[in-house]
Amino acid sequence: MYKAAVPLKMHTIKSSSGSTPKASRKKTKLKTVKLDASSEPPNKKLRTSAKLPVFDLIGSVPQPQPQESPASSQQPSLLQPQIQRKDVKGKGKPPVDRDDDRLWVDKYEPTIEADLAVHKRKVEDVRRWLSEAFEGGSAGKLRKYRRILVLTGPAGTAKTTTLRVLAREMGFEIVEWRNSMSERGPSTLIDDFGDDSWMDTEALFDKFQAFLTRASSCYNIFAASSAIVSTQPQSHTQSKFPSQSSTPSLPSTSSSRPSNRHLILLEDLPNILHLPTQARFHDALQSLCSSSESGPPVVIIISDSGLRGENAYNDDTWDGAGGARWSKKETIDIRSLLGADLSTSPYVTRIAFNPIAPTLMNKALQAMLTKHFASTSGKPPAKDVVEMIVESSNGDIRSAVMALEFACVVTLTKGGGKGKTRRNAAGSARAVLEAVTRREQSLVLFHLMGKILYNKRKGDPPATHLSARDAAKERELDETLLDPSPLPNWLSEHDRKASRVCLETIASDSPIDSSLLGLYIHENYTMFCTDVDQCDGVCEGLSWVDCVGGNLPSTTPHAFPTLALSTLHALPTPVPRKGQKVCKPSWFDVRNKEQDALEGVGDVVTWLGQGGASDERAPGRWTHADVALELGGWLRAADRTGIAQLQLPRTHRLFSSLPWCAGGVSGNVLGEDENGEADGVDGEGDIRVLGALRDQKEGKGWWLESDDIEEAE
Amino acid sequence: MSLWVDKFRPKTLDDLHYHQSLSIRLKSLAASADFPHMLFYGPSGAGKKTRISCTLRQLFGSGVEKLKIDQRVFISPSKRKLEINVVQSNFHIEITPSEAGNYDRVVIQDLLKEIAQTQQVDLNAKHRFKVVVINEADSLSRDAQAALRRTMEKYMSNMRIILCANSTSKLIAPIKSRCLLMRVAAPNPEEMQIVLEHVAKKLKFDLPEEASQQIAEDSGGNMRKALLVFEALKMQSPDLSGSLTIAKPDWEIYCHKVADLIVQEQSPARVLEVRAKLYELLAHCIPPTIILKTVAERVVERVDEAMKADVMHWAAFYETRMRLGNKKIYHLEAWVVKVMSLYKHFMYNFDMADFE
Repeated sequence: MYKAAVPLKMHTIKSSSGSTPKASRKKTKLKTVKLDASSEPPNKKLRTSAKLPVFDLIGSVPQPQPQESPASSQQPSLLQPQIQRKDVKGKGKPPVDRDDDRLWVDKYEPTIEADLAVHKRKVEDVRRWLSEAFEGGSAGKLRKYRRILVLTGPAGTAKTTTLRVLAREMGFEIVEWRNSMSERGPSTLIDDFGDDSWMDTEALFDKFQAFLTRASSCYNIFAASSAIVSTQPQSHTQSKFPSQSSTPSLPSTSSSRPSNRHLILLEDLPNILHLPTQARFHDALQSLCSSSESGPPVVIIISDSGLRGENAYNDDTWDGAGGARWSKKETIDIRSLLGADLSTSPYVTRIAFNPIAPTLMNKALQAMLTKHFASTSGKPPAKDVVEMIVESSNGDIRSAVMALEFACVVTLTKGGGKGKTRRNAAGSARAVLEAVTRREQSLVLFHLMGKILYNKRKGDPPATHLSARDAAKERELDETLLDPSPLPNWLSEHDRKASRVCLETIASDSPIDSSLLGLYIHENYTMFCTDVDQCDGVCEGLSWVDCVGGNLPSTTPHAFPTLALSTLHALPTPVPRKGQKVCKPSWFDVRNKEQDALEGVGDVVTWLGQGGASDERAPGRWTHADVALELGGWLRAADRTGIAQLQLPRTHRLFSSLPWCAGGVSGNVLGEDENGEADGVDGEGDIRVLGALRDQKEGKGWWLESDDIEEAE
Repeated sequence: MSLWVDKFRPKTLDDLHYHQSLSIRLKSLAASADFPHMLFYGPSGAGKKTRISCTLRQLFGSGVEKLKIDQRVFISPSKRKLEINVVQSNFHIEITPSEAGNYDRVVIQDLLKEIAQTQQVDLNAKHRFKVVVINEADSLSRDAQAALRRTMEKYMSNMRIILCANSTSKLIAPIKSRCLLMRVAAPNPEEMQIVLEHVAKKLKFDLPEEASQQIAEDSGGNMRKALLVFEALKMQSPDLSGSLTIAKPDWEIYCHKVADLIVQEQSPARVLEVRAKLYELLAHCIPPTIILKTVAERVVERVDEAMKADVMHWAAFYETRMRLGNKKIYHLEAWVVKVMSLYKHFMYNFDMADFE
């Protein structure tokens, strides 16, 4: 049984006996010989590549699958030499050299909970869930309901690492699914010609299903045996693949209980966006939940892929022409992943990770630096560099570590000139970092919006808060600006002074695309206008650009400058300073709400079609538009009278009632009690203020998402 | 317990309460051997679909009421899968191609070809042809309409098409000329009252005269709306007595209030306020064109004669843009701002004129 699972990449790795002293000083280093290195996503590869050579079971245990053609069953023999070659190569290299090869992300991956930069409460949440999943909680009955844990959060918030650390501490193993296109990876190079072995691979999803069933019913024999063999307590030596534990040669391991507890980790998911695959995936998970025999718990990790403005053309607002676009979802979220039934069922728990708080990240990075420079010679980068990295990382610790490593490399190379003018060095470091870590930063966005919306033109009096130096700089800039040639009389209303805004730099440096820029301008322009006529100009520009862009993705190169120019042209000059704050577009909230409401409409339509309200089944009589427009009153009345046997779909409330609330503009102040998982339904107070970000206290330990410009909640 | 609109929907042409002459014509058409392609048009809630289903029943007998719902998958030229719900019986098939959005041409072509190329196998069938009912035909794209036009001629022998649309203005002339046009006008208040009383009689209770009158007037010729309001009222106060505040739909009241906001004050702050309301309307799935139309109509009521044409002009202008673009709110708001700006200038000039 286990052998059969090998081709499914359960990543069974044994640390070899040839461990060096160096290796045992640090954590165990392992090397995965990946048979399908080509198909692995690069960053996963980075993370899983560990140090020590290993022999892979696929090489030593040829296990032709029954349906394989004779040609392909020969493959293991073809494969073997190559693997051995690899092993030799791995052993041959001095481990010290290899050490330096590794990225810091892997090298200094946290191994104990204390090292994690995640907030304690989140870790505790995950730990509790895991212990309930394995032991059933205090009452011992929770086990049944702890079947699926979904970890969500932006990229680089240590979701996977948390799980691995906990696996190490709590002594269970992680069995992970990997999508792979070819089972034979390297061998394809050899038998690429004259071989039709590529014909016979199973469908990917079949493999996935097989993996699930095997993983839930079988145990890793090696892990079990090693648990028996091993005698010494271990905490730091265990590898990050707990399934490998260790061998007698590397005495370590032992949780008092044999580590036959394992969980299934799904991070590299099948193609959920393909609807049939999605349906099968739901079925597979459903059956996993409903099976009475309690198998191992499943942990699913989803990185919230942010929603970009340009995606919006695909699932735009409903145009009322039918159920046109209401069922299309282009991004993976928990709902599409698990299906509506499952995501609300008691079997599923969701823990949302927030971006890492700046202080926590700062601490982690500093710790990493001390660790690094304890073993290597060199000078750690200045404190403000670290702060800069933290600031620009937007709570993504992976990118922060990458940037930090880069910063260290850079200062090392030009260490000579650095001593003289510290300030200069800091400046250049900033420039380099800016070039390296140019992410979609809220700070830059913030400046961009300020530049456009304040519409400064030549000769404007300096703003009161400006220092003398900045004012001088402005004057200097003014001198370089040419006055535009005067317009003829009949166009005199369009006469403007030369703008201080350099459109080219803005367009090329902008962290956002034109459609998102449009949304930001749209959300904020009213506060910067003094008159309706100015609003008219801005609106006209927005409307024109949107309509010209049409159904194409907004990649037209002209959209961005046109938008910026029309806005600059229409806004008053100078813009009166009234303490305006730039808000995030509420458009995403509205669209989410709309989508929910449309689902509600869809539910009602189905309900009507299935004869919910009439004696016979009459599908197709009601269109979405009819329901949304005309059924509202009836639904509310039906709700009020509370006729139980009607069994109205509850979701109708999302669209049926529309009370007029007098308070016009909803509060755009960052709520103190707002937590990371604000859902779209209670949208009123969801507009977050970018400006308030900087003096955001993080005493509570989580990082407000207000800087995450792309997230759609 | 059931929705009265569905429960008391007439099943045969004889059951229909109004437009008797239309019913007679439909009946004789169904009896004749030569049944044409047809286009039913008229305002929503006038009874187009009801008449179509009655006609189908007249054509094929009660077999058409055995409906099943099918999910069909079509592949767009860009290899994208489209899933469309198709309602069908043995004798007819009903589609709403606007569900496919931009790809409605594919759906129309594939589906019609498939139906056209299969013969009726049921020997007991009264007619050799199958009927394809296309709902919301006025939202068909040009492409789809062009595709339809060819098919209509080619497969006349074993297929008839019945189109259902709100107005003929969005259909291309070749299609209109290939169809027998059937205008289903909105019922007048008296006719609606008859229907309401009929429903009341079936349910064995008395409907006070003034109540039915008010319902009929308020629903503006939309029979479906009238019946829904009637049922909602009955649920709320079973005796239908007392002051009947006929509830307009929430969104309609909301739109009117938005219009009031626009007329009351013209300032950037007010624009922001109106935007919040528009967002709220959009979030409740009210189609943006309907929002624009309702608000514009209300604004027109409230402004001076000289401005009315302009308000409507810009409403039409931004509606076009809304169809071309993809962020509806921009265009709605652009219209609001335009109207505000117009109104402001108008009032300003007015004052100045007064002054002189």
